[in-house]
Amino acid sequence: MDVVCLGVGYMSGVVATELALQGYKVVGITKGPYWDYVNDFSMTKYDEWGVGLGRKYDSPLPLQTTTIRNDSSQFALPVRRYTMPIQYHALGHGVGGAAQHYGGTMGRQGPWGYHMLSSVGKTTLNTINPQDDTYDWPLTYAQYEPYYVEWEKAHGLCGTYNGSPTNSANDQYSDHYPWMSHPYWLPPHPLTPVAQMFQTATQALGYHPFPHVSALASQPYTNQYGVTVNPCVYDGYCGGPCDYACETGAKANAAYRTIPAAMKSNNFTLVTNAYIYRLDYNTTTNQVTAARYYDAQGNIHVQPGTVFFNGMWGYNMIRIMLLSGVGVPYQYNSGAQTGTGTVGRGLTNGYLPPKGTGVTGTLNIGGNSYVAGNGSGGSVDIYDLMDDNFVTPGQNFIGGSQISMGGYLGGGPGNITMAGGVGSGSMGSAFKATQQNKYLPTTVGVGATPFGPDLPTLKNYVDLDPHYTDAYGDPVSRLTYDWTPNTYNAAIGLVQKCKAILQQMGASNITVGSNVNPGAYHNDWWGHHLRGGLRIGNDPSAGTNTAFAALSGYNQLYLAAASGVNYFAAGEITNTTGDTVPSGTHVAGPQSYRAAEGIVKYLKNVAMGGSVNYLAA
Amino acid sequence: MPVLKVPNRTIAAQIPIIESRIPKPDELVVLSKPLLQATIRIGELLKDCSAKWAFAGDLGEILFGVNVEPDHITIITTSAGCDDISKKLTPFLVQAPRITERRVKRSAEINLKPLPINVRSYSSSFNIQGQKLDVHGDLQIKVGDWDWGDSIDFEPEYVYVVGVKVPAAPLELKKELYRGLGWYDRVSKIHAAMARRHHKIV
Repeated sequence: MDVVCLGVGYMSGVVATELALQGYKVVGITKGPYWDYVNDFSMTKYDEWGVGLGRKYDSPLPLQTTTIRNDSSQFALPVRRYTMPIQYHALGHGVGGAAQHYGGTMGRQGPWGYHMLSSVGKTTLNTINPQDDTYDWPLTYAQYEPYYVEWEKAHGLCGTYNGSPTNSANDQYSDHYPWMSHPYWLPPHPLTPVAQMFQTATQALGYHPFPHVSALASQPYTNQYGVTVNPCVYDGYCGGPCDYACETGAKANAAYRTIPAAMKSNNFTLVTNAYIYRLDYNTTTNQVTAARYYDAQGNIHVQPGTVFFNGMWGYNMIRIMLLSGVGVPYQYNSGAQTGTGTVGRGLTNGYLPPKGTGVTGTLNIGGNSYVAGNGSGGSVDIYDLMDDNFVTPGQNFIGGSQISMGGYLGGGPGNITMAGGVGSGSMGSAFKATQQNKYLPTTVGVGATPFGPDLPTLKNYVDLDPHYTDAYGDPVSRLTYDWTPNTYNAAIGLVQKCKAILQQMGASNITVGSNVNPGAYHNDWWGHHLRGGLRIGNDPSAGTNTAFAALSGYNQLYLAAASGVNYFAAGEITNTTGDTVPSGTHVAGPQSYRAAEGIVKYLKNVAMGGSVNYLAA
Repeated sequence: MPVLKVPNRTIAAQIPIIESRIPKPDELVVLSKPLLQATIRIGELLKDCSAKWAFAGDLGEILFGVNVEPDHITIITTSAGCDDISKKLTPFLVQAPRITERRVKRSAEINLKPLPINVRSYSSSFNIQGQKLDVHGDLQIKVGDWDWGDSIDFEPEYVYVVGVKVPAAPLELKKELYRGLGWYDRVSKIHAAMARRHHKIV
């Protein structure tokens, strides 16, 4: 095999397809099944037990869990369930990975997010973020931008044009939103009533609202690989806490955007229900030579290859490196507050804010809302309070927060069944009124929960747990993480502005959460938006790369001790900073295209006997 | 860090396994790159065309997810639309607009009887980036010795092909057409695509 993809989610989908369509032989190995949205989702859409409780779309905990703790002095305990208060869900399982059941949020990270360190300065970072470990990305937004375009084209992103680099008079948003060299490929979804009210209110307050960027197809679409895509039918089955998959394939993921083209090429082999447990790593040549995996019966298989692309989900990417002796593991010295090594360093949390912050209220929307698509497809965002768009003298945080409101009311099967009405009587007009208010509401609860980017610190990291193992006896990953001050300081700093927005919208019962005192709450959210820990970079001495020397211009290509590159990786876990948008997936996407480009160059070099300096090409 | 010992024995772990059926390549609906690029080009060239037109034939179907493998591009329009399109695509013209009539290779199957199908239209042909394009204005169909049918009328639906918004013949129209001709295999293909699109169970 020319290329071995470890995992077959979003990132591997791009690499596998790009390579297979150029004639290279690619194999994708995933521990889960192949999901077909008709046979596996549409036919079983009422399987609330299997989906909501059994979490069959998630990485099975009996196979592989992780242990968690808030600081390095604690004994980490394993996650045994998916639900709160220890929320742990939505790691990928099978073709398409976690994106089989996510919200479809896909906003770009703006230019500022790529150079926080140089923009803010180490002195400020050290002040607002104890034990700060923030580094700039190796490339600028402008360098990543063409890869954003390819990524968005492949997955049919919906949104409005936000302005060109020229920032001409026609560009409405480019001062407040990442500029684009090409518009999105589909129009935005229809706005919900709440989103329209948010849009009107924020415009009145001088902000710059725009439709949320969504990876749920709003119209029939064909991408550059010739893969045809069905549009969202707004039935709401896929909604709620991202548990349910899309039954028309409108929700973008590798299974319905890229992998079909790879399979059609006859250059791609898919191996399912195959659990990778080691990479064979030659410490003399610094080359990965094979991936070992168990099949569903526990038989061992060895898959050799020329190039290995690590597209596993989250900390699984780190774990397989640690298990295989690839790279230098990160080790934290709590006494000296220093750290060495790179693999596992800089774990951040990209999504949920600390408890207690935020503002809520009630809106009369004057008519029925409606059950619709998943995620935030019909919502409206403002970026005026995030990145460097919002800076006031003396503020104790950086980055601010994206404010979004008006997502669809999708909620999975439970949202449309007539099982509600608790406390409303079992029959008669009271029951009917309750049902109507619940399922065809004229008033809705709204809220805004600002939070700042979670900055990397030396004390948040991933390593192997010394006590707990997976089903095959290998150590599971151990996550050491707690919220960083920047997240809740930003929330405290912005919540009054969010309150003003709700007031402008005409909300009633507005309630502002109590301020969070640093250290009052500790992270209890161990989910799919934990990121970082295997950062790309171009400064090995600072530890911003993986164990491999980063390559100039192709910094997501991990070089085995600076001799021969045959190991690549992309994903949220390669995030360099705690990024500034909720969608780490979209930030990782461009890396997968860069990886594919670099792999092609590498393979051409191999074909020519290694005589060409392909990095200079 | 020393490399952990690699297990080399079979271990039967008690883990849930979800059966997986991997589709064969011929089950996957993917438009070939040459036709895709030609479709985009045509969409761009006809962006300002005011006549009613739509991609039809196999290409029109695959844009809606029907599992067919088109080998050329077909557009249906009116006679005036054919003239208009031919002007816009003049650099690519192979055959100027004229009335054509031909027999379709496949017969209709009506009441278990094979009947010849003839089509008549005001048509022109083009070569767009190496791909054949047929434009049919006021297309009529004649089955056996029946009278010619009315010109096919349609209201196009829209598809985005790599960002280019193009009209395509509605699948409902095609389904009714195939049903009338007794081409139930094609009806079935369309039905399957519509089921995937609207999540109805076939």
